[in-house]
Amino acid sequence: MLQFKLVLLGDSSVGKSSIVNRFVKDTFDEFRESTIGAAFLSQSIKIKDPKTNQDVIIKFEIWDTAGQERYKSLAPMYYRNANAALVVYDITIADSLLKAKSWVNELKEKVGNSTDDNDNDNDNNNNNNNLVIHLVGNKLDLVEDDPEMRSVATEDAVKYSTDENLLFKEVSAKTDFNIKEVFQTIGEKLYEIRQKELDNNNNKQNKGEINISLPRPSTNDSTSCCS
Amino acid sequence: MLSPERRTSMAERRPSFFAFQQATPLLVPHLAGIEDPLPEATPENVDVLIVGTGIVESVLAAALAWQGSNVLHVDSNDYYGDSSATLTVEQIKKWVSRINDNKIPCYKNAKLYASNDIGPTCKYKSRSFGIDLSPKIMFAKSDLLSILVKSRVYQYLEFQALSTFHTFENDSFEKLSNSKQEIFTNDTLPLMIKRNLMKFLKFVLNWENQPEIWEPYKDRSLADLLAEKFKLERPQVFELIFSIGLCYNTDAKIPETLQRIRRFLISFDVYGPFPVLYSKYGGAGEISQGFCRSAAVAGATYKLNEKFVSYNPETKIATFENGSKVKVEEKLVLSPSQAPEYSYNMPEQKYEVHRLTCIVEKDCSEWFNGNESAAVIVFPPNSLKSGNQEVVQAIIVGSGSECCPDGTCIWYLFTTQQGPRAELDLDAALEAMEISIIRESSVKIPQDESLVQVSEDGHSTINSFKLGQSFKEYVKREKVQFLFKLYYTQCTMVPPFNVVDPSLFMPSSGASSKFIPSACDNNVIYTAMPSSEISYDEVITAAKVIYEQIVGSDDDFFDIDFEDEDPVTSSNSYGTSRAIQYDENAIEDEEEEDIDMDQGDKDGDNSDVVGKLEI
Repeated sequence: MLQFKLVLLGDSSVGKSSIVNRFVKDTFDEFRESTIGAAFLSQSIKIKDPKTNQDVIIKFEIWDTAGQERYKSLAPMYYRNANAALVVYDITIADSLLKAKSWVNELKEKVGNSTDDNDNDNDNNNNNNNLVIHLVGNKLDLVEDDPEMRSVATEDAVKYSTDENLLFKEVSAKTDFNIKEVFQTIGEKLYEIRQKELDNNNNKQNKGEINISLPRPSTNDSTSCCS
Repeated sequence: MLSPERRTSMAERRPSFFAFQQATPLLVPHLAGIEDPLPEATPENVDVLIVGTGIVESVLAAALAWQGSNVLHVDSNDYYGDSSATLTVEQIKKWVSRINDNKIPCYKNAKLYASNDIGPTCKYKSRSFGIDLSPKIMFAKSDLLSILVKSRVYQYLEFQALSTFHTFENDSFEKLSNSKQEIFTNDTLPLMIKRNLMKFLKFVLNWENQPEIWEPYKDRSLADLLAEKFKLERPQVFELIFSIGLCYNTDAKIPETLQRIRRFLISFDVYGPFPVLYSKYGGAGEISQGFCRSAAVAGATYKLNEKFVSYNPETKIATFENGSKVKVEEKLVLSPSQAPEYSYNMPEQKYEVHRLTCIVEKDCSEWFNGNESAAVIVFPPNSLKSGNQEVVQAIIVGSGSECCPDGTCIWYLFTTQQGPRAELDLDAALEAMEISIIRESSVKIPQDESLVQVSEDGHSTINSFKLGQSFKEYVKREKVQFLFKLYYTQCTMVPPFNVVDPSLFMPSSGASSKFIPSACDNNVIYTAMPSSEISYDEVITAAKVIYEQIVGSDDDFFDIDFEDEDPVTSSNSYGTSRAIQYDENAIEDEEEEDIDMDQGDKDGDNSDVVGKLEI
């Protein structure tokens, strides 16, 4: 199983949370209490290895902004080691694409993209030269009901995405249109990048530092301490 | 003064609690992406306003948010962490110039050298470095670690082991023999000393129940107890007090020192053969961010770049520099380092912590154990050229921690010495480290008997004078290249010892009731600046004291009952780093038998370590 960190970005009320909710819980706008305290949400998907045609499990660890984006107060921790980012805008609000663009810039600055001219330290603090960014125009359902409501033309977003080398789709979290596809595409792209990295760095061992996994508190009941 | 009314706890507010009583779900905090966004505007009313995102304030914010308080958490900086931040080189430059403009209370005498090799188009980038303003280590058995696990904030962080503690003595670094096995197999230790050492280790794990041993020494130092009662000799006494106990001078009092020695021993082998952990990418700054995120998940509002200006206790209105205002229903908590002008109620910050932080162009792997990337070096009193009276401690962090690029290493030196003397001690310690790392990283020492001396107590040490001569040429050519050197003095109201005492953090009863008409901080609760303590020991105590002030009791401090999926399955390592699960051994081994003192001369096969001794 391969695990990837995916971060959400976009202005408030563009529907970041609804998209993740739909993907992770297959619900829309419904109260869920089971996720109280979730550090982040996880969901796995299956993709096919294009060469071997075998199934590969991709697990997403999805970090929401927890509201910290509202006053531009996202911590470096949020961006660190992100493998993919979902940048969301609302196709019924013209301004939200502009905001999405500024989030893309912020991402590239914070995470460090392949355009970084310095290769000496690309191992340190970010090994994210292959950050996958997927732009998503949400609330397609509103436009289908009433085409007048569209404020961002699909072509504009497509052009921007091509220029910036982003993946792009219009979706509806409410009707579940294209949601799974977005994550599927990201998963395939991440897998492709990971395979390339493995090919290139075959002889390059990891630095050998070992992370310690902190256990759950020992006060927990016996059912939960098997790992 | 405790507030008479208690808010309902998170557990009580959880909808399942009400499911049988009420049809409509109640308001729950905004959780990671589960609910609609909050309204755009600044909340006009909050229960608690916390100013400063240092580690204590961040733990407090998360505790209050999960308890159910409506928290607004602000910081005047554009980064998280305040006095415990982890900063890039560029951020340090700005920070230093603000200290020198007297814009940051509680800091003074900042001096910075940064090499031209750090810059946007240079060999090293500013943001490849994460420099802690308040470097700390975390014991594996500590209240902060328990809270990290309980609150699940650990899931946002990555931890690595630290097992190397060097003591500087006789002009060389002695590595600490901190396991029972090492004590037994150490050929240089006479049998009597081994036995006495084991006797003391057994005692210290259970010192509270043996007052007859230590109480007669209550007003004397631990050194006396160790020498008289346990017949230990100077090297062992120093090792116990300074490397294991991490104390600051020879006056270290009983029983606090016993507690500190035990802290080390019981932390050993909780997660593996090491007593201490540290977080990757930076220490306290990372942990602060983690708790802030947790608070945000629980509904707290975050605003950086928000400078608090004044508070009116009658109207309960807090004002910010940009003119915005907020009504604080209950309490305003303020970090001294963000105190505005006219803060006449701020407690006196009378203790100095002197720090010297360097980045060297060397990986310093000679000082690390195995795969590890950090170490602690202790310079006991009178071990340095400067004739230091207080200990100088150093935390060494290598590139494996991702706090600095490959081929570099961060050295954090600090001392509790007060006044201008401190800088001399720090310089002397730095010089000793410089000489040592050059020596150790140089070509292999030739087999020359005259270079190795066996001292009276049986320790073999390398004669540094002769070594220095034989490598004179080499040493001259190879110098430690400094990329960065930063001196500063931080002030705190917390004395440099026994920081787990809650009374240290109690807002002085007089000050909180005093009303100074021209002051802008009447009725504000001040947090404490970080102390000189090398560990995070004070953090939870300090946060709890204020929590209790606000909520009325600390019974439900992080009393969170998570309902989601098993967190153990979600490891926090990404990419190529492997996570090794040590937890199983940590919980097992309960049948470990008590130590058999007569096994002292059996070497090798007794491989368990002192940390497992029964308490």
